[in-house]
Amino acid sequence: MTGRRKGRRMEPLQVIGAFERLAELRDYVERAAATAGLDRKASYRLCLAVDELATNAMTHGRPSPEHEIQLRLHAILEPATLRIVLEDTGKPYDPRQTPVPTNLNLPLEEREPGGLGVFFALQSADEFQYERAGDWNRNVLVVRRVAGDSGTQAG
Amino acid sequence: MEPAIQIAVETVGTVAVVTAVGDIDGNTAYLVEEQVLPLALPGSRLLLDLTKVPFMSSAGLRVLLALHRRVTGEAGRVVLVGLSEEIRDVMNATGFLGFFTVADTVPAGLTLIEGPPAA
Repeated sequence: MTGRRKGRRMEPLQVIGAFERLAELRDYVERAAATAGLDRKASYRLCLAVDELATNAMTHGRPSPEHEIQLRLHAILEPATLRIVLEDTGKPYDPRQTPVPTNLNLPLEEREPGGLGVFFALQSADEFQYERAGDWNRNVLVVRRVAGDSGTQAG
Repeated sequence: MEPAIQIAVETVGTVAVVTAVGDIDGNTAYLVEEQVLPLALPGSRLLLDLTKVPFMSSAGLRVLLALHRRVTGEAGRVVLVGLSEEIRDVMNATGFLGFFTVADTVPAGLTLIEGPPAA
């Protein structure tokens, strides 16, 4: 289903699932977004999406509290799109199954905290894909590039 | 190792001015919470300067939610200063923005918070 795609790949980044590594993941996405010519807002939304998915995996994905998970991030520049692939070795989790928060109009006094992170992530991309690949959750965020660097021509 | 966020608290008149410098994410949100929530005493006035916070995730929103609850419960007031356009967008999309008093600069925020009590 996910055949080897052509396009320019950035060197992948692999880190252990620790909150201290979130900034590195965001830096990577920011560099990919800049290379793809995304504007500031699109770049920010993509950073937010990856941050939220990674935070979610670190918080809820561990099979047990002492179990470390691994996170792997890579970017593929295609002529029309930037694909950001975030993988983690946490428990199987499809973000698309998370219910959309329904309390966005409630006064803050009545809000339940949480549930917003995944909502941001799914809202941030033009297309979102998920699959379980072996021991890994694979989240793919696809964002359309407006102009700029066209990467390697596919085909 | 340098901490991922710097938080400074000073008192200006009757207002506690908290300045955060750095990203507020899953790694740093608890530090903001630890520093800021105890300042929400009865009738307190808090100014949270986020001018030098380029990034805030939902972990930061959770701290703002806790702060709003605490301050409201203590009949205090809080003003957020210097939200970036991107953070403002996220707060708007989640319905948070309308519940906070916001200002562009610290002096503007101080004027707002020191003004007559809201009706």
